[in-house]
Amino acid sequence: MTKSIHPTLNRRTLLGAGAIALASSVTPALAQQKEVLIGAIFPLSGASAQVGVDAKHALETAADIINGNYNFDLPAGKGGGLAGLGGAKVKLVFADHQADPQKGRAEAERLITQDKVAAIVGSFHSAVAATISATTERYQVPYFSADNSSPSLNRRGLKYFFRAAAHDEMFTVAMFDFLDTMRKRGEKVNSVGLFHEDTIFGTDSSNAQRDTAQARGYNLAVDIKYRANSPSLTAEVQQLSSANPDVLMPSSYTTDGILLVKTMSELGYKPKAIVAQAAGFAEKSLFDAVGDKLDGLISRASFSLDLAQKRPVIGKVNEMFKARSGKDLNDNTSRQLMALLILADAIDRAKSVEGPAIREALAKTDIPGEKTIMPWTKVAFGEDGQNMNANPVLLQYLGGKFVTIFPESAAIAKPKWPMN
Amino acid sequence: MPCREHRLLRLRVKGLAQDNGLKTMTFQALAQIVVSGLLMGLIYALIAAGLSLIFGLMDVVNFAHGEFLMMAMYAMFGLVLALAVDPVLLMPIVAGLMFALGAIVYLGVVRHAMRAKVNAGMVQVFATFGLAIVLRGLAQLFFTPDFRSIPNTWLGGKTLNLGGIFLPWPQLFGGAVSIAAFVGLYLLISRTDFGRALAATREDAGAVALVGIDRNKVFTIGWGLGAGLVGLAGSVMAIFFYIHPDVGGPFALTAYVTVALGGFGSIFGALAAGVIIGLIEAITATILPTEMKSLGIYAAYLAVVFVRPRGLFGNI
Repeated sequence: MTKSIHPTLNRRTLLGAGAIALASSVTPALAQQKEVLIGAIFPLSGASAQVGVDAKHALETAADIINGNYNFDLPAGKGGGLAGLGGAKVKLVFADHQADPQKGRAEAERLITQDKVAAIVGSFHSAVAATISATTERYQVPYFSADNSSPSLNRRGLKYFFRAAAHDEMFTVAMFDFLDTMRKRGEKVNSVGLFHEDTIFGTDSSNAQRDTAQARGYNLAVDIKYRANSPSLTAEVQQLSSANPDVLMPSSYTTDGILLVKTMSELGYKPKAIVAQAAGFAEKSLFDAVGDKLDGLISRASFSLDLAQKRPVIGKVNEMFKARSGKDLNDNTSRQLMALLILADAIDRAKSVEGPAIREALAKTDIPGEKTIMPWTKVAFGEDGQNMNANPVLLQYLGGKFVTIFPESAAIAKPKWPMN
Repeated sequence: MPCREHRLLRLRVKGLAQDNGLKTMTFQALAQIVVSGLLMGLIYALIAAGLSLIFGLMDVVNFAHGEFLMMAMYAMFGLVLALAVDPVLLMPIVAGLMFALGAIVYLGVVRHAMRAKVNAGMVQVFATFGLAIVLRGLAQLFFTPDFRSIPNTWLGGKTLNLGGIFLPWPQLFGGAVSIAAFVGLYLLISRTDFGRALAATREDAGAVALVGIDRNKVFTIGWGLGAGLVGLAGSVMAIFFYIHPDVGGPFALTAYVTVALGGFGSIFGALAAGVIIGLIEAITATILPTEMKSLGIYAAYLAVVFVRPRGLFGNI
């Protein structure tokens, strides 16, 4: 993969390295400032602004854990800043990409060249992560993907791309593992219906689902790709309704998720079961709007608040986040918070704010699962920057809250099946 | 890839034929598509009416139209929260508030933009476009980017089942409001002194001063009416759509196409074009892969622009 990089890109990389070398002649002064700048690029305005604003709260909570005096059993959780850099404090620099890949690229460039950030975390939309991570690669600055879930992101031979959370193929495998279990239990689960939006997230997610469904002998009853932020989904829902699959699998952001559920209810379509690729279906505002129609919805997740019963630190972190945002941690915010902790831990070990040094430290990361707020077995990155030990869970929305139903080792309730 | 699309198409056609079995059932599926398109089209028309009115009156395209829609939806949301009265009863209040907003925007922004000595058209575009960004920013600041919706309304979530054809009550109601608004607008323009003043100002904004018509007053009321109409649309949509600072964008885009397709400045054109767009959208989504459902709308628009640049019913 790395060999195939175009020669001009190499020249650019050299140029970028040159720029950094130039910049580093100034950085010693910066290192004395007791501050490590980390860029955070999220959708702070536009249709997904709500996710970005919540991400800001999550990252600020993480920075508080790193800089304050809490002494949590988490990476960089000892407090008092980064010991490896003489107690330097982590300072976040936020930028807004408005769900636009080109704005994401420009903001990444600005954060690196003007604000001189040591690393960048982002960005919710996978389509935007693709351009940000290409830019950070050029400048040899790590891009830590907090909540992007497209599997194609870590398959481009990038050396500065890291992702601790699962990607949509891993999530999809978990979803079908669950469907297999339901089958074994004697439930009728023969056909699935895909409903996905038309950017990288929906496309990659549905590709994984389509392949897995075929490989495991599920019939593809309907396969709908729709235009994101559509004013109406009536025609799409009519097609879902006439195909009436045993399991409906949506890959949607919040806007379309709300509209989908409202339209299904208006057209009298009650899906037999929904197993969602999170995104919008992890968001509180979706359940505030249409939660009454979703009792029994199942969604994949990276996070489960149920785990707080076994690991009290999760409850404490959740309280800190809730004090800022008024919401519980969810699939997205937990990943954002965790991302900054893992990144800060690497910078601490690198004892440096130089991109290549942080990259080396990230590559050597080995954090046991118990030292995170996630249900993961551990955090350790492969050659491609992907953590393959990020075990997903499935949550079901029952009686107004999410409970873990899969895998059985983490489950605290039996799944309700079918939902309608 | 093309292979997959073909398979999908076949699947889809098969799905329609198989699941519904009989021919009569296929008719039902078709009727559902047409009726859904029609109802959505009436709402598109209602959204476009105000835009068309303002453009026809004074040649100003209001680029903040989608944000007016958003403001109306938040106004309805806020009123329901404060007064605990059903949205249907609150519609006149929202329309009235929007009338005031429209008048204020004319007096505070557009009137000044129209005074530009050079490139007045561009100044107006930038003024209303800037206004759009300001309104959206203020909405995010004050209302937060969380998605809102109004629960437990008389109409919300209720559906009329006509022999297997589902007609959501909010959209039915919206369609009725749309038709009533167009009838009212027609009567206002053709039967009242104000309507005649409006038509005269449209003809020649300079000359009307000679017969004692205050064009500033006419423009102010025109903007008020335009915003009031989109206030009605927002009131209806607040019942069945999510409310968000960015909700106006996709609808405004459709409204611009509606006005251009129907003919700039033609109120009846906006109604006809809205319905046509709703139908084309529903039909395109049925025969083409759904992600291409906007294709039909823009293809029809392009065709009209090529053959009849002034739009279907345009008289300019």
